[in-house]
Amino acid sequence: MAVQKLYPRATVKRIVKAHSNRSVSKNADILIFLDYILFMQELMREASIRSRKSGEKNISANTVRKVTEVRCFWAI
Amino acid sequence: MSTSTPNARARRSPFGTATPSGDTTLTGLQRLPSHTRYPLTPSRLVTATTPGTQRSASRYTPRARGVGAPATPYGLRARQQRAANTPGRDRRRSGRMQRETTFDILKNLGRALAPISQPIRSSPQEKPEPIEEPVDEFEQLDNEPEIERPRLSLPIQESDEEGEEASPEMRPPRMSLSFAEEDMDITYQSVEYPRDTSIRDRDRLSMMSRATGRISGDFDETRLESDGGDETGIVGEDDEAEDTMMSGGDFDRGGETEDLGRFHFDLNFPSPAAPPLEDPTGGDMNDMEDFELSTAQLPQAPSDDDDNDGGDFGFGLEFPPAASPSESHGIAGGGLRDEAIPAQGKQKKISRHGIPVPNLPAGVVKKLATRFARSGAGSKAKINNATLAAIEQASSWYFEQASQDLAAYSKHAGRKTIDESDVITLLRRQRHINDSTTVFSLAQKHLPKELQQDMRLAMPP
Repeated sequence: MAVQKLYPRATVKRIVKAHSNRSVSKNADILIFLDYILFMQELMREASIRSRKSGEKNISANTVRKVTEVRCFWAI
Repeated sequence: MSTSTPNARARRSPFGTATPSGDTTLTGLQRLPSHTRYPLTPSRLVTATTPGTQRSASRYTPRARGVGAPATPYGLRARQQRAANTPGRDRRRSGRMQRETTFDILKNLGRALAPISQPIRSSPQEKPEPIEEPVDEFEQLDNEPEIERPRLSLPIQESDEEGEEASPEMRPPRMSLSFAEEDMDITYQSVEYPRDTSIRDRDRLSMMSRATGRISGDFDETRLESDGGDETGIVGEDDEAEDTMMSGGDFDRGGETEDLGRFHFDLNFPSPAAPPLEDPTGGDMNDMEDFELSTAQLPQAPSDDDDNDGGDFGFGLEFPPAASPSESHGIAGGGLRDEAIPAQGKQKKISRHGIPVPNLPAGVVKKLATRFARSGAGSKAKINNATLAAIEQASSWYFEQASQDLAAYSKHAGRKTIDESDVITLLRRQRHINDSTTVFSLAQKHLPKELQQDMRLAMPP
């Protein structure tokens, strides 16, 4: 994993730049992606908890959607 | 015993003379408790007169003495004195000359009471335990490493209720509309919040009215009226239709309460209908237009019928079904919520600033997802395409939200660019960073070395 590139830095920068309408400093995208990694970790943890609770083996799209809905609800 | 007064001796002397023989005195003395062995005093007198006999008595070997009684009362006295000095030796001598001490008294008492006495049971044995528990608790608190960052989600069953309760305090994200009116609304709505929370059933309604008010920024008055509609709704809950009319008349908003209903229905229409109608690249901009269109039709509505509909306008009856679908669409859908995203394929979204947003490559997302799904589930977890699409959707939401937060931070700092410090602030707010966790430890855990180096270059510690 460490050998190949973890993520396209330019893409992340462009995403953030598009949403915020502000330029992103040279290495801030690393930290942003770090935050994204942590978000994914939490998302998958929540999804796996929920899927295990409902007895599924794998994480289904529905679980992820439910988890994100709740999270979005919180974020609002 | 040596402290006995001479008077006592003098008094007892006749008794001592009555029993001249040492043996008889001894046997008599043995029966007496040690405190009352005053008859010894005659022997003392004898001792004073004939020191020679004392010498002969002291010349006895211990064994001889153990076998035979002292010949003279004064010899007995000598033995007693020795016994007083060394009680241990005395005890060894078959208890013949035992002094009764207070300890002996207690011992005898104990022996006498032993068969009857019960072992003392300490009063309720539960008492010590609660005392111990707090101590353990404190220790646990001390030993606790760090307060774990809270789970930011709620169980789905509770989320319906608690989400509604908590909803008045969490303001939905703002649409890109004029802010001057928004500021006025904040004070107005903050006054209205407690009342909203007190009414369970009206929560959705009020939330909807708030949402609509937010979306249609230029229709400030309609929002006021919609809140007025809430009031009529409350009164109307008591099945008094006339009251609703009264209140409507009092506030001179009777007609507009009916508008509220229409208003909501109008709102409900575009949001489900948006994906088919609008261009998938629409994003929020197109949605905004939809909403404004719907609100633009409103002013015609009050002219229809003022109080007739206001009377039988059962808020409680009509609204919940109408509000619930709109809630899922209008509220959870921030700017980028269009459900058909996976179906739309490669087409780029456009952000609220009108800049096309690229997607994060699916491979990257999938890699991350499998990495964390595996660690969560233990075994190797597979992620199918639908799940991946949901995750991508979630990450696009995430990036939108995070970018807006970052923009707010940098704006607050008076900068034009989003800096590392902004992200640090965001991480700290999300409680990824605290006293025990630094950015660097997180980076070490999650990022490859090259990125770590770049990060260190960017932000000296």
